[in-house]
Amino acid sequence: MSSDEKHGAHAHAHHHEHGGTRGQRVWDAWRRWQGLALAAAVLVSTLWLAATGQLVLYIHPRYVVFTVAMALIGVVFVVAGLVAGRGATEGEQPRRLARAASLTGSVLAGALALALVIIPPATLTTATASQREINSTALGEVDESVTEAASVAGASASFTVLDWASLLRQTSDRAFYADKPAEVLGFITPDSDDPENSFYVSRFKVTCCAVDAQPVGVPVYLPDWQGEFSPDAWVEVTGTFDTNPSRGSAQPLALIPEEIVPVDQPEEPYLY
Amino acid sequence: MSTRVYVELGRRPDEPAPPPRGPSPAAIIGLVLGLLGIASLFAIRALTPELGLPSLPNTAQDLLTLSISVIIESLPFVILGVVLSIVVQHWIPDRWISRAMPRNPWARRAMVSFLGMFLPVCECGNVPLARGLVLRGFSVSESMTFLLAAPILNPVTIITTHQAFGFDDGILVARLLGGFLIANLIGWVFSKHPAPESLLSSGFAAECAAGEPHGRGGRWNRSVTLFVREMGVIMPALFIGSLIAGLVQVAVPRDVLVTLGSNPLWSILAMMALAFIISVCSNVDAFFILPFASTFMPGSIATFLLFGPIIDIKMLALLRTTFTTAVLVRITVLVALLSAGIGLAVNYVF
Repeated sequence: MSSDEKHGAHAHAHHHEHGGTRGQRVWDAWRRWQGLALAAAVLVSTLWLAATGQLVLYIHPRYVVFTVAMALIGVVFVVAGLVAGRGATEGEQPRRLARAASLTGSVLAGALALALVIIPPATLTTATASQREINSTALGEVDESVTEAASVAGASASFTVLDWASLLRQTSDRAFYADKPAEVLGFITPDSDDPENSFYVSRFKVTCCAVDAQPVGVPVYLPDWQGEFSPDAWVEVTGTFDTNPSRGSAQPLALIPEEIVPVDQPEEPYLY
Repeated sequence: MSTRVYVELGRRPDEPAPPPRGPSPAAIIGLVLGLLGIASLFAIRALTPELGLPSLPNTAQDLLTLSISVIIESLPFVILGVVLSIVVQHWIPDRWISRAMPRNPWARRAMVSFLGMFLPVCECGNVPLARGLVLRGFSVSESMTFLLAAPILNPVTIITTHQAFGFDDGILVARLLGGFLIANLIGWVFSKHPAPESLLSSGFAAECAAGEPHGRGGRWNRSVTLFVREMGVIMPALFIGSLIAGLVQVAVPRDVLVTLGSNPLWSILAMMALAFIISVCSNVDAFFILPFASTFMPGSIATFLLFGPIIDIKMLALLRTTFTTAVLVRITVLVALLSAGIGLAVNYVF
């Protein structure tokens, strides 16, 4: 195999495995401990998040078992790496410029690892919801089961904001919504077209992990809502859809609230 | 001592390894300090939410959440990739691999592109695995073929793409055939390089040259050594890649890209930019892009599904551990041209 020639040709050029210069040894030790420390930070955080049921803030629930299993294997390897694995060398010590770049990288990675360990976990906020524009992409084809369920009396009570948003995209016939009371839960995102009188009850829809989260929401009409509620607050809104009285909003229909109750953030804040 | 002699000759010793020495004092101190470190990490992580730290501004908080979600989503796949790489390097006898592989270079590369069918690892896990293949004697161009083909030609990706698109508009077919073609063409191009070792980053080239059995002692010790080394290389890259992916998410408005979607050429360029920025794994990117299918032309979706699996911010950071920057630029340009060409063909045919 070609590896024989390749290895043979270069073998005697590398003796640093058993010593080398002082700088080389420091460099090797640095790479080794940095890798182990960063891995430990992620693995510990992952296991703690899983134990406290907060892993779903970052990834889709279907990955939780796999992630925990791999994290446990990782922890075993990290602990073993503390004892064994001393021969690990990271090739030659880089030149000055590359070393400076790598040091900057280390600082950034270290800062992110520190934030990972000390900052309390959180869901995505209205910053991302408005950045990604509510209902712009996550509503693909209308779910047939939703349309069917909508024809069954009383079924609408269990609809999520995603179901309602899909229906609203399909039809804006107010007669269709007249006998379908809604009860939806989500966080408040101001409607950028009419922030004084209108907001969205919104959720994020996640397909894989939080990075692909798509905001979905249902418009709610409530003049001067900012006096009572603030953006990012979690609420449960009951009401019925009707013609949107808002002049500025682009939405033809809006949820006219009968009651808005502040609630705690749900354990699974995202929809899937 | 016998191991060292084998190293110099460049041959892998076929067991038994010399008897492991007892743990040295340094190892015991390392173990105690490390275990204390892990325990205190747990303690800090468990206690900080109680302290009532002031909450961050929304944008900073979302930057953290997005970056951390990429890290947490990728790390299990990275670990799986490292474990598979350990198996390939230290636990599978050489002759299994050499017997299974054909001698003709085209046939070898074609075979390598289907390795992903048996190793359904997401592309972040493929990098350590590809490094393992090179260390195990695969040529550099073969490892590239593997890296490019495996994220697309693997059962999980095929199932999710089929779930998302069925056989509509030729998207699935374009993805599978296109992925195979691109991987083999690029493998062929780089196989013509006169000095393949010069394609590798200096750190990785030195590693290859140092010979296979890294570290001393038995297989277990070498396996742990390999894990430690891969973590040392990949963890900083994963952190930086995720941080940049998070930053771009917070900074570049997505609707700018979406407005470009209906033009045959611009839709393709927009989709490549989107794939480059969001850095989703190939296993699930079909679901991610499905909502765009109504506004974007099918060819641009195919381009997204061909370009995204291998070329994005996170992957380039990971690949830089193995290849030189010049090589990555060339791969990026080639993959971009080929996937855009296939996308254009789909746009005009369907």
